[in-house]
Amino acid sequence: MSTPPATQSLAFRVMRLCRPSFHVDTPLLLDPSDLILGEDIFDDPLAATHLPSLIDTHLTNPIDSSDLSYRSRFLLQTPFDSFGLTGLLVLPQSFGAIYLGETFCSYISINNSSNFEVRDIVIKAEMQTERQRILLLDTSKAPVESIRASGRYDFIVEHDVKELGAHTLVCTALYSDGDGERKYLPQFFKFIVANPLSVRTKVRVVKETTYLEACIENHTKTNLYMDQVEFEPAPNWSAKILKADEHKSEDNSPSREILKPPVLVQSGGGIRNYLYQLSLSSLGSAQSNVLGKLQITWRTNLGEPGRLQTQQILGTPITPKEIELHVAEVPSAINLDRPFLVHLNLTNQTDRELGPFEVWMSQDDTLDEKAVMINGLQTLELSQLEAFGSTDFYLNLIATKLGVQKITGITVFDKSEKKTYAPLPDLEIFVDMH
Amino acid sequence: MDSNSPQPESTPVPPSSDPLTNQFTSLNDLAHELTSLQDLANRGSWLSIVDKVNRARSLSLLNTPHDHLTYLAYIALSLTKLRRFQEAQTELDSLDDFNSHHYRYETYPKIYHDRSGSMVPFSLRWLHALLPIKLGNRQEGLDRFYLLLDFVREKLNRNGNDESVKVWRKREVFVVNHIINQHLSNKELSVCIDLIDALISRGNLDPVLLSKLGYVQMQIGDLDGANVSFGKVEKIASESVENESGLRNLASRNKALVYLVGKDYLSAVREYDECIERDAMDYVAINNKAICLMYLRDLADSIKVLESSLERVPTVALNETLIVNLCSMYELAYVNHSDNKRTLNNWIARVAPDDFDSSCTRV
Repeated sequence: MSTPPATQSLAFRVMRLCRPSFHVDTPLLLDPSDLILGEDIFDDPLAATHLPSLIDTHLTNPIDSSDLSYRSRFLLQTPFDSFGLTGLLVLPQSFGAIYLGETFCSYISINNSSNFEVRDIVIKAEMQTERQRILLLDTSKAPVESIRASGRYDFIVEHDVKELGAHTLVCTALYSDGDGERKYLPQFFKFIVANPLSVRTKVRVVKETTYLEACIENHTKTNLYMDQVEFEPAPNWSAKILKADEHKSEDNSPSREILKPPVLVQSGGGIRNYLYQLSLSSLGSAQSNVLGKLQITWRTNLGEPGRLQTQQILGTPITPKEIELHVAEVPSAINLDRPFLVHLNLTNQTDRELGPFEVWMSQDDTLDEKAVMINGLQTLELSQLEAFGSTDFYLNLIATKLGVQKITGITVFDKSEKKTYAPLPDLEIFVDMH
Repeated sequence: MDSNSPQPESTPVPPSSDPLTNQFTSLNDLAHELTSLQDLANRGSWLSIVDKVNRARSLSLLNTPHDHLTYLAYIALSLTKLRRFQEAQTELDSLDDFNSHHYRYETYPKIYHDRSGSMVPFSLRWLHALLPIKLGNRQEGLDRFYLLLDFVREKLNRNGNDESVKVWRKREVFVVNHIINQHLSNKELSVCIDLIDALISRGNLDPVLLSKLGYVQMQIGDLDGANVSFGKVEKIASESVENESGLRNLASRNKALVYLVGKDYLSAVREYDECIERDAMDYVAINNKAICLMYLRDLADSIKVLESSLERVPTVALNETLIVNLCSMYELAYVNHSDNKRTLNNWIARVAPDDFDSSCTRV
């Protein structure tokens, strides 16, 4: 903190005003019996009868305000007085660390340490970061009329910390001192903003589902209570959080209704993992691979909040399928050497006309005869499909082997673009005797 | 009529040695000049207690084994309170193992007649666990606390008479509380929650405990959890027939904390004012009210609240945390704050008990 030169009448004093904390200590408070009596004395039935009332009368009287003793620093009033958390609050004792996503709050007091009144004080408080200068307070439109000798003018400023690195709280006062001279007082309070968390993500595609793993690591010196961790998907995506099954204890204790174990990430390197299942809700026209971003809200002492958002998280680019071929219906009874019809549907998922198409069954590499073959013409012709259009058609097939067999290799070929699409996934059927 | 009752011993027994064959009316029957020791302790005159114990020892005024133990407990406690931990440890080191026959009533039938059991004051076992921690060996102390808990639970399993069970139950809570304190000061807050959970499951639905659970939850940042805990306390307070101010104030202070956390400092101040109205010695309400005034940009009044409490109710307001807060306020309010702090320090030196830690003024 810079100190003003001796000729100034005013001086700024600053105190960081993050939330207070609870005072914690080890109370040195006793039950008088534990000090003056042997621990097993109450085993003696005579003692058990006589002593409690003696102790009550002489030692554990309630305190009244005329009692000038420090008894409350010595004797327990209630059994839980030995639990050292009275609810007493302590003001922040040091500047502490400031993290991205928190709100910087400060009490600022301008003191007039001279013997004369100062007048027409224009006060400004600004936050200077590496990239910008943000105005927090400005009294130029309504200057403070005066501050008397030994007087003070106080204000509180708040600033949401959105940048990393060096920050300077710049406090300036322009005033008329006791001699009527116009004086200018600048004071600078520097601090560094660090990153409280790092988020590592991993994207995996399994079949057609995209999974996003996010690992949050805590770089601060305190435990962070994870208030909310939400994934906001990009417009054409939807997301569902996947949670492990809770291991429910059989315990029916009364505390179960009060205590839900809090989600705490340990300080200095503790981590917590989150898993999301993402699905494409509709095929957007843009082929972007942006999945979305994570919104993280945490709390520290007394609920001091912090909030951060990750950058856009990118997935592996999925080429959206231009055509979709699927089986609409397969007959329930398929008999050996008897032709059967399979009902298929071909959809054009693009916004332009595609086709015409050919549909066939691809030859596989084995020399064995395929178990299920096309009966009749080996290639089926399909006409063009308009944008987003679809068509139903039938393939006439015949099965030459009994039992569980596969219909494999049904392939669609675009005649005009000369493009072969990936074959229909294998379909299992059961082939029976006549 | 009482021909079967045991006849008293024919050998003369000094009046203070066994309080139970005499109809005792004063503490002095329990130990040599106990009333005086207790009085000094109430006044916070721990230095005087150290002197008194040393004098009694050097003049051989202590005649019975339990007198020696009681005096040792007093001096060990005094030295601990005076933050002279090594000396306190030395006192404890002068003892044999706690389970030694030297400390059992039945070893001295001439003095204690039919009584049996340990005459070690329980506070010595507590200090035995606490002192290593104060001397920097946290692990040793914590281990001793857990062992002490086992010891207490074993005593409870013996199923003594009602009074005995009551006393050991109190000691169980006492030891668990101290274990919680250690984890709390080491910021192991999840462990604390588990320990509190265990206490509650054993039937301790004490509103003070539930409130403290709320404070731990608030400290973590689990505001929803804290609200649930405070709700239970509110329910107990509203259903309480006695309507005692202690419980009422506890519920009010909890409510004020919820306002404070929601940044509604005006409502918090209002709650604290009600508390102070009900009980002028509610120093937690006084201190926290002053803190709220700071957040309301009213540094002048926050200082006034604390200074006036030191005048009106010094025996409770003279609390190290309250003084720390007042000094922080002085540092902010006055360029020449060292003057204010020095004045405060001088007043403290005149009025405070011996165990007051005046390093809190940072003068």
